[in-house]
Amino acid sequence: MVDYDAVVIGAGNGGLTAGLTLARAGVKTLMLERHNIPGGCATSFVRGRFEFEVALHQLSGMGTESFPGPLRSMLNDLNVIKDLEFVQMENLYRAVIPGQMDITLKADRGQAIQALKAKFPQETSGIDGLFDLVWAFCNQWVHVAIMRDPEASPEKYPIYFQYALKDTQTVLNTFLKNPLLQSAVSIYWSYMGMPPSRLPFGDFAIIFWAYTEFKPYHIKGGSQALSSSLLNAYMEAGGEVRFNCGVRKILVENNRTKGVVTDQGDEISTQRIVSNAGSYSTYVDLIDREHVPEERWRELGARTIGTSAVTVFLGMDAEPEDLGIRETTNFITETTDNDLAFATFKTLDSPKAMLFTCYDVDDPDFSPKGACQGAIVALAYSEPWLSIPTTRYYETKYRYAQDMLNTLYKVFPDCKNHIEEMDVATPLTHMRYLGHPGGAIYGFEQSAKDSELFLDSASPIEGLYHAGAFTGMGGFQPTLMSGQSAARKVIRALQK
Amino acid sequence: MKNKVKKQISGFSEIEKEIEILRKHALDRSVEKGQVSQIIHRLHPRKLNLAVSEIHPETGSAKTFRLVSQDHYLPPFQAGQYINLFLDVNGILTSRPYSISSSPCQTAYYDITVRRIKNGFFSNYLLDEIQPGDVFQSTSPAGYFHHNPLFHGKDLVFIAGGSGITPFMSMVREATDKKLDQQIHLIYGSQQDDDIIFQKELSERESSHANLTVTHVITEPSSSFSGYKGFITAELIQTVLAGTNPADKMFYLCGPEAMYGFVLSQLEMLGIPKRRIRVEIFGPPEDITAHPGWPETIQKEDWFQIRLSQGRTFEAKAGETLMNSLERNGITLETSCRSGVCSLCRTKLVSGKVFHPAGVQIRKSDRRYGYIHPCTAYPLEDLELMI
Ligand SMILES: Cc1cc2nc3c(=O)[nH]c(=O)nc-3n(C[C@H](O)[C@H](O)[C@H](O)COP(=O)(O)OP(=O)(O)OC[C@H]3O[C@@H](n4cnc5c(N)ncnc54)[C@H](O)[C@@H]3O)c2cc1C
Ligand SMILES: Cc1cc2nc3c(=O)[nH]c(=O)nc-3n(C[C@H](O)[C@H](O)[C@H](O)COP(=O)(O)OP(=O)(O)OC[C@H]3O[C@@H](n4cnc5c(N)ncnc54)[C@H](O)[C@@H]3O)c2cc1C
Repeated sequence: MVDYDAVVIGAGNGGLTAGLTLARAGVKTLMLERHNIPGGCATSFVRGRFEFEVALHQLSGMGTESFPGPLRSMLNDLNVIKDLEFVQMENLYRAVIPGQMDITLKADRGQAIQALKAKFPQETSGIDGLFDLVWAFCNQWVHVAIMRDPEASPEKYPIYFQYALKDTQTVLNTFLKNPLLQSAVSIYWSYMGMPPSRLPFGDFAIIFWAYTEFKPYHIKGGSQALSSSLLNAYMEAGGEVRFNCGVRKILVENNRTKGVVTDQGDEISTQRIVSNAGSYSTYVDLIDREHVPEERWRELGARTIGTSAVTVFLGMDAEPEDLGIRETTNFITETTDNDLAFATFKTLDSPKAMLFTCYDVDDPDFSPKGACQGAIVALAYSEPWLSIPTTRYYETKYRYAQDMLNTLYKVFPDCKNHIEEMDVATPLTHMRYLGHPGGAIYGFEQSAKDSELFLDSASPIEGLYHAGAFTGMGGFQPTLMSGQSAARKVIRALQK
Repeated sequence: MKNKVKKQISGFSEIEKEIEILRKHALDRSVEKGQVSQIIHRLHPRKLNLAVSEIHPETGSAKTFRLVSQDHYLPPFQAGQYINLFLDVNGILTSRPYSISSSPCQTAYYDITVRRIKNGFFSNYLLDEIQPGDVFQSTSPAGYFHHNPLFHGKDLVFIAGGSGITPFMSMVREATDKKLDQQIHLIYGSQQDDDIIFQKELSERESSHANLTVTHVITEPSSSFSGYKGFITAELIQTVLAGTNPADKMFYLCGPEAMYGFVLSQLEMLGIPKRRIRVEIFGPPEDITAHPGWPETIQKEDWFQIRLSQGRTFEAKAGETLMNSLERNGITLETSCRSGVCSLCRTKLVSGKVFHPAGVQIRKSDRRYGYIHPCTAYPLEDLELMI
């Protein structure tokens, strides 16, 4: 007799959809979460009259009711969509380089092309060429990777096989000359945490195409609304959950999971574990070394931990239009050299690429009347943050945030005079609340070698399954879907 | 995707080779076991094990307790933050938050300064029973009532009442010790002029630092007292800040519940926008039944049944927070602020109805799915809690 048929470690996106899928299938499931609230990254916190969104800037994969994307279909399957309200964003983004460029792309292929051509009339054929390639690539990718055409081959799908692993910068160079234009088109690289020179073109093409075709979305009530609805559905389906209850150890015997030990010292027996703690923490911190095959240590050693972030949360006592904010999603960069911008993420110097999201533009109910909230995000690796003595942590954090604010004020000077609440999260904050090494928010780096194509997320330990960003790609859509797929494997195994 | 298919992607085999080499020379990550939690622990340990090293009487009603770490390490804090002390008071494991009154410039100890309140459950125990050498646990420093250089500016007005001086004492000590570029006006209300906490040190710091001014206001002055008397009014604030524009400053308020309503209305009269006012949390209200929205039909002494999902049942008074009632019945929840804002104690209400006073910060989705903050929730019916 085991205490539970399955235990889910962590209530992040991956853990939540895994738990819900299991509970719905009648699997007796216990979810254990270290923090006091579900969501992991997908959460919120309250300061004064603002409820700040922690992570979600643009939800991908939704599509419309008549043309549903993969995420909408999954949330439909899980029957939580009725509890949620989604707001479609009109724009992909506004991209600004103060003093040099300012362009807004609509989430529509034709209109985006038009806007680019209007700003860069010398490069109309290059723009057409690049968009044609992106769409042709994604079309073939759907056949190869999603529909899994058994006859997939370089002859049948030449664009996919030729371009999937090419670096994005090389492709940009073949179509576009003006570095400003390259910046305007490629800024989604920062959502992947890899500069175009190191980002596989396949991943860039898919993200640009998917946001355009399935549109970027916002969730009413923020990502916490999604996490809470998933947890609620999980509990309604009979799932049990404990908060403030981290897992300290996974018990393994004869290469098989046997149970878990909580931070409080409770031992819970189970044969199936879905870990949302990330493959790094799961093996390094939760399982005794001798139970992990040598092969897995080599695999982990060859991986690079991905980026974390610094976020400045702003609660302001004015409506967005009073502050000159007209777009929800604003990328602000200070250079067209993306490698340089990326390099700043590994320092404590002012980051040269950042995102400013003002949620109230598309969702006027997000903040109280007469107020709005914004979040400035810059990607950041944890290393320089780990090198500062703890006694200098606060001043470093403020200095860094001040640099980000100064950049923001170049584009939105009025924000400065309306700040009512402000807080700052650093890589150490993400480390604290997620438990991931380096405070990684997208799992491993999204370079070619650490991408899904080369990642084997199946565990060498029987009964152990993984969900979340460390199984492939970071971001809401991939992590939410990874949990469902891990749970399906558990269900199949239980049926055997 | 099948391996056979993947392998045909151009560039695939080169990357496979790269990974093969990396694996051969891989760092064995098992040596990193425990590193993440060690790093977090340096800034935010879950619990601190503290010992009282000294007790220093401040006034007839207040004492300072000097707390040192039993683990040889205290995390840094921002002047104005508090710790939540856990203590077994006559068989009840409970906790109360106390602002750190010492300066963050030194890391050897935290001082807390506790004032006696009439019938105070915890404060009286601290003041009467705790001796040097006694040990207890606390949370690590928390709270948002501190200077934020990103938007607070350098022109600061501290308005304190009674024991509400403690976070300001830490801020004043830091600003004067570090000679921070800040102009501080402290307006400090006390009941009696012979019961002013930190009076001597404040006047010393005021005379040696040109950018600190201290103004005392006494509600029940002795006949010999010659300073400001009564409440902290708009007029008084204006007089103290004479010649400067109050709207350029940041105002901070910390004191007893009754002070907030009054002083906030005075600041409003002065035209201070809300974004220039910081208010410290102050724990559950003294008399919840006096709060707007409290149902007239329910009295403080009405008792309700509380059922826990784990199977136990006990009775709780309407006029007392659920957290207190739980503690009296041997159940101690995670908590830091005991004021409804830190959300550590969030608990699912399975059935029944509770009252939360305005200002309790509950996430929208928590409201929707019935989560409450027991530290500031009062039963209005029989309840079932998921505990
Ligand atoms: C600032 C920021 C901005 C972002 N913007 C976007 C965006 O616009 N669009 C997008 O798609 N994505 C975005 N992301 C990324 C996205 O939020 C994450 O990739 C995704 O939420 C990760 O989900 P996960 O399933 O890996 O779980 P995580 O969110 O990593 O959660 C893991 C959970 O497991 C728990 N846990 C860990 N160890 C243990 C243990 N031992 N015992 C118990 N519990 C444990 C943790 O407490 C946590 O709750 C952003 C992230 C951040 C931080
Ligand atoms: C952020 C913050 C910082 C603070 N800083 C300071 C500070 O620096 N100095 C300071 O002096 N105070 C400070 N306080 C106030 C402090 O936390 C206590 O509220 C104060 O000491 C009074 O606590 P008490 O238990 O004595 O009184 P109360 O909790 O108000 O108790 C009043 C009555 O309620 C009943 N009661 C309360 N709890 C229980 C229980 N568990 N079981 C049974 N009966 C109970 C008793 O009958 C008692 O007589 C701070 C509060 C906050 C929120």
